[in-house]
Amino acid sequence: MLAAIASANLLGSSGNGVVVEVHVGAGLPGFSIVGLPDESCREARDRVRAAILSSGLTWPNKRVTVNLAPAGLRKSGVGLDLPLAVGVLVACEAISLSAVEGLGFVGELGLDGSIRPVVGVAPMVASMPEVDVVVPRANVGEALVATSRSVRCVASLKELMDVLVEGHPWPPLPRADDDVDDDPLPDLADVRGQPVAVEALTIAAAGRHHVMFVGPPGAGKTMLAQRLAGLLPPLSRKASLEATMIHSAAGRLIGGSRPLIRNPPFRAPHHTASLIAMVGGGSSSIRPGEISLAHGGVLFLDELGEFSPSVLDGLRQPLEERVVRLSRAHSHIEMPADFLLIGATNPCPCGGGRGEGGCACIESTKARYLRRLSGPLLDRFDLRVTVHRPGIDALMDSGGGEPSARVAGRVQMARQRALDRGYGLNGELPIARLDDAAPLSTAARAMLRSELERGRLSGRGLHRIRRVARTIADLNEGGDLVEVEHVQTALMLRSEVDHPRIEVGV
Amino acid sequence: MIPPEAYAAAVACLPSMTPVRLGQLIAEHGVGEELWRAAEGSVHSQAVGRWRKKFADVDARLAAQTSAHQPGDVWERCWSAGIDVLVRGAADFPECLAADREPAHVLFVRGSLNVLSSRRVAIVGTRNATENGRRFATRLGGELADAGVCVVSGLARGIDAAAHRGAVRSVAGRGPAAVVGSGPDRVFPRENAGLWELVAETGVLISEYGPGVEPVAHHFPARNRIIAALSELVVVVESRETGGSLLTVNEAIKRNVDVLAVPGSPLDRASSGTNRIIADGARPVLETSDVLIALDLDTRRQGTLSFDPRPIPAAQDQVLLDMFNGDPLSLDEIVARAGRVLPEVAMGLGRLENAGWLRNDGGWLIPLRQAL
Repeated sequence: MLAAIASANLLGSSGNGVVVEVHVGAGLPGFSIVGLPDESCREARDRVRAAILSSGLTWPNKRVTVNLAPAGLRKSGVGLDLPLAVGVLVACEAISLSAVEGLGFVGELGLDGSIRPVVGVAPMVASMPEVDVVVPRANVGEALVATSRSVRCVASLKELMDVLVEGHPWPPLPRADDDVDDDPLPDLADVRGQPVAVEALTIAAAGRHHVMFVGPPGAGKTMLAQRLAGLLPPLSRKASLEATMIHSAAGRLIGGSRPLIRNPPFRAPHHTASLIAMVGGGSSSIRPGEISLAHGGVLFLDELGEFSPSVLDGLRQPLEERVVRLSRAHSHIEMPADFLLIGATNPCPCGGGRGEGGCACIESTKARYLRRLSGPLLDRFDLRVTVHRPGIDALMDSGGGEPSARVAGRVQMARQRALDRGYGLNGELPIARLDDAAPLSTAARAMLRSELERGRLSGRGLHRIRRVARTIADLNEGGDLVEVEHVQTALMLRSEVDHPRIEVGV
Repeated sequence: MIPPEAYAAAVACLPSMTPVRLGQLIAEHGVGEELWRAAEGSVHSQAVGRWRKKFADVDARLAAQTSAHQPGDVWERCWSAGIDVLVRGAADFPECLAADREPAHVLFVRGSLNVLSSRRVAIVGTRNATENGRRFATRLGGELADAGVCVVSGLARGIDAAAHRGAVRSVAGRGPAAVVGSGPDRVFPRENAGLWELVAETGVLISEYGPGVEPVAHHFPARNRIIAALSELVVVVESRETGGSLLTVNEAIKRNVDVLAVPGSPLDRASSGTNRIIADGARPVLETSDVLIALDLDTRRQGTLSFDPRPIPAAQDQVLLDMFNGDPLSLDEIVARAGRVLPEVAMGLGRLENAGWLRNDGGWLIPLRQAL
């Protein structure tokens, strides 16, 4: 007897439809799985057999062959347990073929027949658009986001048998409590006495410019970075779905009542993160990395210089292309990774002190410290802002700064101005469009020319300054022309941190 | 054929040799081939015998070191690197070093020792100098060179390099003298490579160490004694209370060489050593003429800057400039105090920076008292 059950497998942050074909026939009793299962998949044999037996059903005393189609694609994970069990039961005629028609299954089985949650249900369900899906209870939220078909859930194999064989109704879905509000995001009003850093965050949010904060410990770099996500507008429907798929694939949505990710995520990996943890990957199953988890939101790298150079260099391609492409011998995977990068670093190993003479590091030590940040990466930061510990007066001042909601309003308006021009956000302006989108006034042009002539600006730096100046003009309700004060502000917000001057010769 | 100095040069290159030991060997064996034979062990030497009582492995060490520094090779390396070898007692050996309480015996020299025939002033200070300290040292070095004074220093990082930089920039002035703690062909620190060459071209580079000798920590106190012995005055520009430049000061005091110091704020760590020296009775140096007066030189030719060439800032920029009150401020503080929007403040600061009133240093805006 033959059965074919629809299911899916996770590959990166997207699902692949899989048909679990089960053949139960004459021959020596045995159980084999073909179709490139990995170790966790192969172990399904023992789980499925135990689960069927402990649910009070009989295991066919025949030869059971399972094929996971398409057979050329590697399968991993435990989500195929449930369809496998259903396939065996259909093939040995414990369930009728018609009962499982139009249904897809995903779930892990316990030895007692219970059905356990698995990671990546959202993308897996999305890859089965033509069937109703049966998923573990804790995965219902994710599944509902990903499909327009019905979602069913059962707690155990026994319960499933009741529905499919005895004709009981499907058990009710766990209630989604939609009125639970998100945790309030940290507010910009808490920041005291750092108007320039706040302005830089505003510009970053409005124009999608990557920011680097340079400053001593305790200057509030982390506090500032955490407030950037609150300035970004809510995710678009498309970005929201993409983010949900990624977070589901990383197993972060299991049991969540509001799985759809609407607010821009904020990710702050520790500086010991490995390359795989950062960009995604893994030996058996490919999981999304931090840059994909930050998709649509903010990736904050504190102590930028302490990250391993290979991790930082791994960021360069995704920063440019906004997707990460992982190639393995058997698969090529693309995961979205469109994030706003905030870096933070100390100015020198000792953390720096106030003004001159406060720092105990010699020039070459400082240079070596900052040289760890590769030039090409440093170049991606449109804004490089020095932050200082706020003064005592500012800290004790009871009046807070501008609240995030108001700043977000300005950001939204500036974004709209940029989008109305039709070239996307300012941080993404192609060089060929700079003259159309960000024409310079005569004085601004003269100022940039003089900066170039004095060797304080490179060609690439020029384009970045023009983009930032465009955003500053949009935030300050400037006209079509980018004025000299916008350029000057952009120059002030891009301090040189890469190569401290070492005088050589005369 | 190799000249007799080659043997002295080779012996001076041995890592186990100190100025004192070299003196003992030369006193016993002269500077010719016998000196080398004694170091090698093929001629009996009382000096080596005395060292043997203290260190049992003297013979093994000397044997290994002498085989690595053959006189012919050392001489060849000196020749190809343009290094002259001077032995104490030779006609052109600097007299102040020959007559010193801890004399040098063999010198490796690049450049012309003629610069030492003028008045000589040492400018020393911390390696970890502030921007202002370096700037003052450069000015002092340049103006002393203009006045015909030979600037003596150690070509280290910070104040030393800054003083030499000023001296080599002086067009018509006297060339500087540098006393270094490594072989004259072994640049240390690397970042001074260009300056190192310029000093050798315009002045003189002096070392007790032969070609290829690495800069080892104990060379530097010995180097400091030569700086003190060469100089008529020692000016300390910046020094912390435990700074290495205070070793030079001690050497100067032992030799009755006057010490002057540049004062700084009592709260400034970089000036804590110099302020202490002044409190102990050293004369302060506020400008170059203070040094020239101490040398009994005519200071009248020294022109001082009588007007400020910088354009007077506009009223709204002057408000910004007044906020500094002489101290560095961060951009955040300026924006917070000015109560104006960032683009406006940025414009004002940009104008002040271009006119030379301010300097932007890694996020700190620093007011400048004088035009650059």
